[in-house]
Amino acid sequence: MIATIVRRSFANRKKAAALMIASITFGTAIASSLIVISMEIGGRVSRELRAFGANILVEPEIEGMADLSGQRRYLRYEDIVRAKTIFWRHNIVGIAPFLETDAEITSNGKSEKVGLIGSWYYKELPLPGETGTFPVGIKTVSPWWSLSGKWSDSADNIVIGSSIASEFSVKPGDRIDVDGTPLKISGTLDSGGIEDRQIFMDLESLQRLKGAGGKISKVLVSALTAPMDTFAYRDPASMSKAEYEKWYCTGYVTSIAKQIEDVFKGSKARPIWQVAGTEGKVLKRLKVLVYLLCLMTLAASTLGVSTTMIMGLVQRKEEIGLMKALGAGSEKIALIFVTEGIMIGLAGGLFGYLLSVGASQYIGTKVFGIALEQRAMLLPMTMAGAACVSIAGTVLPIKKAMEVRSAVILKGEQ
Amino acid sequence: MGSADEFIKLRCVSKEYATASALRGIDMVVEKGQWVSVVGPSGSGKSTLLNIMSGLDNPTSGQVVIDSTDITAMKEDEMARFRREKIGFVFQQSHLIPYLNAVENVMLAQYFHSIADEREAADSLERVGMGHRIDHKPSQLSGGEQQRICIARALINSPQILLADEPTGNLDRENTRKILELLNRLYSERQFTIILVTHDPFVAQWGRRTITMEDGKIIRDEYR
Ligand SMILES: Nc1ncnc2c1ncn2[C@@H]1O[C@H](COP(=O)(O)OP(=O)(O)OP(=O)(O)O)[C@@H](O)[C@H]1O
Ligand SMILES: [Mg+2]
Repeated sequence: MIATIVRRSFANRKKAAALMIASITFGTAIASSLIVISMEIGGRVSRELRAFGANILVEPEIEGMADLSGQRRYLRYEDIVRAKTIFWRHNIVGIAPFLETDAEITSNGKSEKVGLIGSWYYKELPLPGETGTFPVGIKTVSPWWSLSGKWSDSADNIVIGSSIASEFSVKPGDRIDVDGTPLKISGTLDSGGIEDRQIFMDLESLQRLKGAGGKISKVLVSALTAPMDTFAYRDPASMSKAEYEKWYCTGYVTSIAKQIEDVFKGSKARPIWQVAGTEGKVLKRLKVLVYLLCLMTLAASTLGVSTTMIMGLVQRKEEIGLMKALGAGSEKIALIFVTEGIMIGLAGGLFGYLLSVGASQYIGTKVFGIALEQRAMLLPMTMAGAACVSIAGTVLPIKKAMEVRSAVILKGEQ
Repeated sequence: MGSADEFIKLRCVSKEYATASALRGIDMVVEKGQWVSVVGPSGSGKSTLLNIMSGLDNPTSGQVVIDSTDITAMKEDEMARFRREKIGFVFQQSHLIPYLNAVENVMLAQYFHSIADEREAADSLERVGMGHRIDHKPSQLSGGEQQRICIARALINSPQILLADEPTGNLDRENTRKILELLNRLYSERQFTIILVTHDPFVAQWGRRTITMEDGKIIRDEYR
């Protein structure tokens, strides 16, 4: 019966019904486009922010007397690929291993003791246990470092930092003495940091040169992380099993660091907070902004439904008065409005979803140059959300309808 | 069950509007199964009296007791329940929902009462001679036909009381007679209580008792 009432009532005031459906349609279209875009863009922003550098530093753990004895500790070369076996392996977008040693360079009668670092610039390693490769090297953790010339490919050539290059007035192609051996300069590196005062050699070549086969002294990791919340700052040692599970399975920079630490034997991995913090903050703000926009749009839709219904009440006063006179309880009157709200919401949600598929696709390609992945899962969510928004719009009209006094309306006279 | 001879009882009921006194201390008792006609000049308070008896309107003072229940003390939702259980209404203008057809208008009263039953609703239309018009909208029906649908609707939930406010006000003599014959037939079948407001002496004579109002008061109460 209720469905008949609502259906016939809508058919009787098509314009108002269309207006309300349109209001919900546009609201949900905008809100769900925003959400689709923000899901995609959130990931991209995160990736782009990764340009600010690595967010996890892995170093050998120094414990007890080892430090005092002055004996250096190293990480194992073979553990590098194991970083790609952790739970959050897909979030690891860059890994760069380093072997840090010293050397004296001499050129044109000048000499200086500098850091001689073994690393890779960019290469791909085979994925452990899977087909395919993953990128490693300085480029993957510090993409803004610029290399002119080529990276060192043997113990015969090196890359030098840009400020050394200008100080010693050398350029790619020249030779420079390193610990008394003349080596060819294959390229110069400009990082804007202390690296400009270091010299670099291919990792394996340096290991052989220094008799440090299979050893590395630190690893920088660049990982996509979830924003840190209060839960993330808790000490995992104090967590219950369930909490620890949750912490471990959320992509916090701390939990990813912990997982990396577990795969590097004898290591200590810690977040580099500056980078990790900025990224989480920016993403959080972006999310807040999107939520606010969605909320405002949906509030506008609610208001649209609400005002249209209240305006319609002027004409419907008589029928509501009549229903009350026939003994309709407030719940049955309210049910009529709620059912109208649900029908409007479902229709508006469906149209809104279809519209948002088009809109977000257009915005995605035009503004961001990417094809957005459409999630069919969003359809029921959009429709349910739209129904809620629309039902919220019926609250005020229901209140108004309750105030209708049948006696005044049904008096024989008018 | 209240006592049959004090089925509806009004005690000193008054209704004041800001600009007028519609009822001034009405005392009256209606027995179960009575057919009472209420007559009087325009503005004498007849509709107000009916609205107060049905709980659609509240008296300014006084008490209305129906079937031993004081309805003046009821909250709005209790009143709505009481109304749908006990009272059927026929208004002067045939108030029907314009976008529902004849049978749906009757079903609406069933729905508010309990559950809609299309068969039963169609049967009731058959009984008021409207069986051939069940899927017509009110705008496609004559005044007399609309009023018959209102009668079917008023009686569909088998109320104990039928309140009718000038049910034939808009009809010609021929249609008025048909409606009253119909009412009379249903009345003798079911023995509900009828309170019927009219200013037409022809209509008033169908009841066994006639109450005459003037200026918010009962000035005459006669049996035939
Ligand atoms: N809402 C209202 N506000 C103010 N005065 C009202 C209101 N409703 C009715 N009245 C007044 O109360 C008095 C009784 O009105 P009521 O409608 O009961 O008369 P009635 O006997 O039914 O008249 P009619 O035969 O014309 O239908 C009238 O004087 C009317 O003007
Ligand atoms: Mg009247």
